[in-house]
Amino acid sequence: MCSLAAKASEVMGLGDFKEAIELLKRLVKQDPQPRWREMLADAYAGRARSLAAKGMFDEAETALNKTAAADGTVREPLLYVQCLAKRGQLGKAFQHAVKYIGTDKVPAASAARMAELTAALWLVAPVRVDAQADPGSELGQWAQSAAAAQQSLTAWVEGKPAHEIEPLLSRIPMRSAFRPLRLILKSLITAPTDPARARQLLDSIGHHSPFACWRDAIAAALPEDAQESPTNAATPSRAQTLFAAEVKGLPASESQLLAEFVKAERSGAAALTSFLTSHAAALPATEAKSACFNLLPRAPDRLRQVESTFGNLSEFERVRILALAAEAASDWELAEEQWCAAAKATERSADPDSRLMAGVIYRHVAGLAEKHPEIAGGDTSPSIDYLERSLRADPDHLPAVLKLIGLYRTEGQDKDWHRLAEDATQRFPQQSAILLQAVDSAIARKAYKKAVGFARRILAIDPINQAVRQRMIELQITHARRQARSKRADLAWKELAKAGEWERPDAPSGRLCVNQGLVAWELGNAADAEARLRRGVELAGGGVVGWFFASVEHARMKGGAASGAVLREELVRAQKSVAPAKEDILSAALAISDGEIAEARKEIAPLVFRIRGWLLQGARLAWSAGEIHPVCEMLRLAGAYDLLADYARLGLLRTPGDPTWKLYRIIARVKGCAERLSVREEDELMDLVEDAEAHEDFHTANRIERFLDSVPDFPKGTGSHSARRGPSAKGVGSIDGIEDRIISQLLATSLEETPPEMVERLVAKLGRERAIAEVLERLRRTPVGELFPAENIRRVAEEMVNTVCGQSSKSVV
Amino acid sequence: MSDPFSILGVGEDADDDQIKQRYLSLVRLFPPDREPERFQAYRAAYEALSDHRKRLETKVLGIRDGALGRIKSHLLAPSKPVCARASKTTVTALLIDGIDRACGQDGTA
Repeated sequence: MCSLAAKASEVMGLGDFKEAIELLKRLVKQDPQPRWREMLADAYAGRARSLAAKGMFDEAETALNKTAAADGTVREPLLYVQCLAKRGQLGKAFQHAVKYIGTDKVPAASAARMAELTAALWLVAPVRVDAQADPGSELGQWAQSAAAAQQSLTAWVEGKPAHEIEPLLSRIPMRSAFRPLRLILKSLITAPTDPARARQLLDSIGHHSPFACWRDAIAAALPEDAQESPTNAATPSRAQTLFAAEVKGLPASESQLLAEFVKAERSGAAALTSFLTSHAAALPATEAKSACFNLLPRAPDRLRQVESTFGNLSEFERVRILALAAEAASDWELAEEQWCAAAKATERSADPDSRLMAGVIYRHVAGLAEKHPEIAGGDTSPSIDYLERSLRADPDHLPAVLKLIGLYRTEGQDKDWHRLAEDATQRFPQQSAILLQAVDSAIARKAYKKAVGFARRILAIDPINQAVRQRMIELQITHARRQARSKRADLAWKELAKAGEWERPDAPSGRLCVNQGLVAWELGNAADAEARLRRGVELAGGGVVGWFFASVEHARMKGGAASGAVLREELVRAQKSVAPAKEDILSAALAISDGEIAEARKEIAPLVFRIRGWLLQGARLAWSAGEIHPVCEMLRLAGAYDLLADYARLGLLRTPGDPTWKLYRIIARVKGCAERLSVREEDELMDLVEDAEAHEDFHTANRIERFLDSVPDFPKGTGSHSARRGPSAKGVGSIDGIEDRIISQLLATSLEETPPEMVERLVAKLGRERAIAEVLERLRRTPVGELFPAENIRRVAEEMVNTVCGQSSKSVV
Repeated sequence: MSDPFSILGVGEDADDDQIKQRYLSLVRLFPPDREPERFQAYRAAYEALSDHRKRLETKVLGIRDGALGRIKSHLLAPSKPVCARASKTTVTALLIDGIDRACGQDGTA
């Protein structure tokens, strides 16, 4: 029972109230103690908060109803009243809110807001408050204030003069919930003589008050002082517009025009454009024209009407409007076409800003191309194409240069990357972001002297630039590691000394210190080596994290047995000394990058195994899916699939619906190899992608798709994984000369009849050569098998058998 | 954002300095601790206009509805004093708008 309570409290801490409710309901059923009921009510209140945050007020109200006490009061009374009000049940909202007057059941933090909301609800739908209330009680006093507020409001609406309203207002206590009404009415009766004072009175009404809309309406209607009153950021609502018209006593004709305007505004852009063109003479000409031009993207069919009223648009304006209209209609191909036409129009224009405008347009289309695959661009990636065009028009736009460099890097266009990085250093010689790209480019080209030159230039501009220092330290450490692996510890030591020159005294590098320690060991200076190693371990986080990190460095350097023994011993000792915390495990996972694991997987995997027990203990901690991702990725990359399975299993127990856990459970089962997915698992993953996309969880969707796409040489970007459904699709892509799609089709069909398990059995029973012949025969008998030349079918059969036998497909082909 | 020029109350031909001066004067009038939402709107508008390229971006890619607001103000005749009274229906509509807004502002709704 206690474990149920602990689990419920854990999931509540993670914000999963739905799960907590389920657990607590079970707990209350088993052991109906008041404290579990209290906890269940807390969970319902939490669930109501999260539902209300999503705009699900009906459901939030239902959840709060479950927290109702015998007297009808609920947890989170303000939220409950808000839910009722949001659903338009203002009377019911007031009836509920009034229960809390004179009680201490509303938390202090929300008491003032609750009081103002209650007052506003009563003014909207006044009902008789409990006649039995003692006039001395809080409810009695509230009822007196409410009566005074009602009388004052009625007096003002009926047009009573200020001297008659003033005494009524003075009966509303300034500390009552009706204070905003008193200030508003006071402001309104002061406005004709002293608008500045009227405005000042409104200042003390809070923005979150239910009276704020009314306050804004008055502020908008008051005569403007150019200095004091900027244009309000929000467009006035219909009620605010009507209020302003009424209190200004506009004549019938003007009111009529205003009413038509408000009606047209509510009917949409086309109606509003028609209104403006047909009443152009009665409106300020420049404003009407500007308003129409800006409405056209939302009503492009009114283009002729606007041109006949205000004259023809320029070529650029016309295509710009059509491009914006195409975007509004999500017609991305047309938008691309129109934007390109607009950019060309600017190039023909004599405007001094024309080139900058073309740059703006091309950058915009590059941005659109990232989100909308309909945008085609030129021969290369559309984003790259449009960014290149933007830089031809506006070469001085730094963010575009950086973005294009980034795209070249991710797309593997290394030549373009190096060329642009080099050019950019001439154009932006003082920009450290550009120089940093130049450092990376020089390192990638193995132009180390150039990299050092650029790094020194960055430090001259920005002496504390940690990124470049880090890059240079990493570079020298890589060199040192290479020397150490070639048993040239003396040269490695020199490289590390050079790395030390890039280190800031106040920001020492743990990695450098560890590597110095390891190389010193090889040089035979054990005492100095151990001191450096220990310091490096401390800098890297100490404990298991630090020693694990040092062990990884040792493995990557292929360090000696003596230092290896010390590291092993310390790692064991560190694991015994302290139980793992989430932070430690995360630090261990983040201490080595994905690239480093991929580069030295063979060396790192046994080290992960060495801290297996420690990591296993950590699996029982209450991880959220968001937190666990770096840890699971480390386990996946290091091939620690049994640990990954444990993390996923425990994660699924805590949050059964979470797609991240399901993904890692499957990855662990197939040992990270998407080729081993069964049809059911592949279907499950595809369903998870769809679910994640439906919930706009694109990170998870992309993560799953990346895993599904990791089948080697499988045609990417087909938009469907169903083409390769089947028990396996091993090694097909290595066969040259046959279209991937057809091969996939062949395999999808053939493998249903020849699953890998069967191939395995055939190999065991018949031996390799006869198994190939048998598989070949089976493949030939499939419907598509008959369509292919015997040689190709034979290669497919060999692939299948070799994969089962564990041979690389390349070696065969 | 609807129209940064209109929000800051500057013309489309205003230069960097004019825009900065206007923004600073608005921030002095409506500091973030007193009017956080207004401040956010002014800040976003200033960001959108803070340099020449961004202003061009706003002009080329944005739809500016400031002119509509100015037409509405023109129709409302801002120079006329506030001395007449509104109807009970209008006041009730304003309170209902206010309740709806207040119920959706605290992050819960």
